[in-house]
Amino acid sequence: MLKTTDLGYWYDRQENSLFEHVNLEFKSGTSYAIVGQSGSGKTTFLSLLAGLDKPRAGQIELNGEPINKIGLTSYRKSHVAIVFQSYNLFNYMSPLNNLLTAMAVTDSSHRGDKAFATTMLCKLGITDEQMTKNVQKLSGGQQQRVAIACTMVCDAKLVVADEPTGNLDEENTKYVIEQFQKIAHDQHKCVIIVTHESDVAKACDHSYRLAKHEFVLEG
Amino acid sequence: MNFFKRAWLNLTAKKGRSILLILVTSAIMLFVLAGLLIRNAADSATSNAKRSVGATVTLSANRAAAFKQMRSRSSTSKTSRPKLTTSPVKLSDAKQIAQLSNISSYSATVSTSANATGFDAISTSGNSATNGGMGMKGGSTSGSGDIAILGVTSTSSTSAFEEKSSKMTKGRGITTSDEGTNHVVIESELAKQDNLSVGDSIKLKATTGTKKTYTMTIVGIYKASSSTSTQQGPGATDPSNNVYTSYTFANTVKGSKYKNTADSVTFKVSNPAKVSTVKTAGKKLINTSKYSLTTNDSSYQTVKASMDNVKSFADKIVWLVAIAGTIILALIVILMIRERRYEIGVLLSLGEARWKIVAQFFVEMVMVLVVSIAIAGVGGKFVGNQLGQQLVSQQTTTATTSSTATQTQGGQPGGGGSAPSGNRKPSGNMNGGAPGSSTSGTSTQKQAELDVSVTVLNLVELGGFGLAIMFLSIMLASGGILRLQPKKVLID
Repeated sequence: MLKTTDLGYWYDRQENSLFEHVNLEFKSGTSYAIVGQSGSGKTTFLSLLAGLDKPRAGQIELNGEPINKIGLTSYRKSHVAIVFQSYNLFNYMSPLNNLLTAMAVTDSSHRGDKAFATTMLCKLGITDEQMTKNVQKLSGGQQQRVAIACTMVCDAKLVVADEPTGNLDEENTKYVIEQFQKIAHDQHKCVIIVTHESDVAKACDHSYRLAKHEFVLEG
Repeated sequence: MNFFKRAWLNLTAKKGRSILLILVTSAIMLFVLAGLLIRNAADSATSNAKRSVGATVTLSANRAAAFKQMRSRSSTSKTSRPKLTTSPVKLSDAKQIAQLSNISSYSATVSTSANATGFDAISTSGNSATNGGMGMKGGSTSGSGDIAILGVTSTSSTSAFEEKSSKMTKGRGITTSDEGTNHVVIESELAKQDNLSVGDSIKLKATTGTKKTYTMTIVGIYKASSSTSTQQGPGATDPSNNVYTSYTFANTVKGSKYKNTADSVTFKVSNPAKVSTVKTAGKKLINTSKYSLTTNDSSYQTVKASMDNVKSFADKIVWLVAIAGTIILALIVILMIRERRYEIGVLLSLGEARWKIVAQFFVEMVMVLVVSIAIAGVGGKFVGNQLGQQLVSQQTTTATTSSTATQTQGGQPGGGGSAPSGNRKPSGNMNGGAPGSSTSGTSTQKQAELDVSVTVLNLVELGGFGLAIMFLSIMLASGGILRLQPKKVLID
């Protein structure tokens, strides 16, 4: 589904590149973990996969088409759903409106379907009362569930998550990982999670370690 | 169109910030509206002045040229004292000028005097020198009778009747149908003293030419306001001795050589703004060494000048507030955008187009603007009224003072002559009268009042200004949105 060819990225000089000649392939219906030390470049790699930045070398292809050809904005809109460590929800909206907005902006096939959004939130343990409250009044775990729900209501086949469990307790972490697995296996999406938590990495179908500028498949 | 919904949700969720934005925008809109209202009111006051104040162009003998000729004669002739000789205006010339565009009507004036025969003229203590100012009128031909004859085309077109300082009380005034007749309109005091009424006859003996006696039929009696007598110069006849006749009769009294002439002809200009054009065109039709064309649009100019000042000040208010408002709102939006970087980042990560994010901010500001316009609409009339009346009172005082000063300098004390007060319409005062005596000051103040009222059109205009201000503010502030990289906001 997603393929990187000779992918490389550096900030100032190529000699100090975070990674170079990265050739990886990510498949639908599979979850992937990318682990590595802080500053190794795993989040940067994720931002390239998410279309938030452009690679310095090589290219990324989605189903055989380079994403720069699709256009990064269109790519983000139609093909990728992103989950962040700090949730990054619309803080002036309710969870329900967050979902409806995500559906509207991404031109989801469920656009405007309030019942569908409510069902998704229910599935992730958000009560009817919590759905209409301001999202900031929810706990961190609940907010992350709302963020995951946003990825579920969009039609994107690729879900990327940057340290999605970084702010969560053990119970919520477990729950969130379960949800990502469901997204990958039940919705047949490709899920790529950047994490430094070994438990999360173990729960994913495959795990890559970024070390010394290279990606190594661990499992 | 999801950005409309996002804009609404944002405004309703952050009530405190929205109220502050509404207050700031209302203040800006209030002053813009006040400026617009004053400007529009000044515009309509100028238009009203155009319609009601009017302007005139007067064709009369060129006295300046006549004086010049007199001086040149005095330098060559050492034996006799030279006389000032002016040429009466030919009516054929006047008719040509009357054909010009923007001339709505014209009236001829002929001044002379005669002696009362078989009735008594009003005698005042200062009446011994009854020939006071008359000698100057129409050259030296007017004689020195005790009755002043004002030959006019119609009494209603004279300034005395137009300005209501004289009013018909019985019978009718002189009209164009009285041309070639011996009809006369006399003053009520003269009528009372001699027990005269409409239909009676009086006799007037010419003081010049054949010195013939004419029998006149009274067709009307008018009353001159008491203030008229205070306008007399030294040695003047009493204003009650002024009688109005057709200009043709006045010419007959003056002598046969004055047939089809007038001392002066006053043309009414329908559009005061075109008075200069009329004057220029008229000058091409006359012999300027003999005749002069003088304009009198001072009332209009006074109102116009005062309104122009008010309008210019109102324009400055509008533009200053608009510029200041744009800067203030742009700064507020810039701060707002900085505060909402994460929201913008999330939208960008979702693949939202940047223009739609800018549009969301614009819609938010337009929503704020709609409420602000409503608030400004309520308060704008009050502020506009206060500010406008203050401006007008300052401007009118200044304009009237300068106008009076100008008129005083330009007056001809006790003179009159065939070019009455240089350029004024016949005032019903044969003896010249007080220099620049005028009711125009009063009428100017009346015309200069501003009618400040808020109309739907004003609010639409304000909305246009508001939208422009909002658009500029958002454009100035949106540079940040256009440059924002989602990775930097959300990940770095």
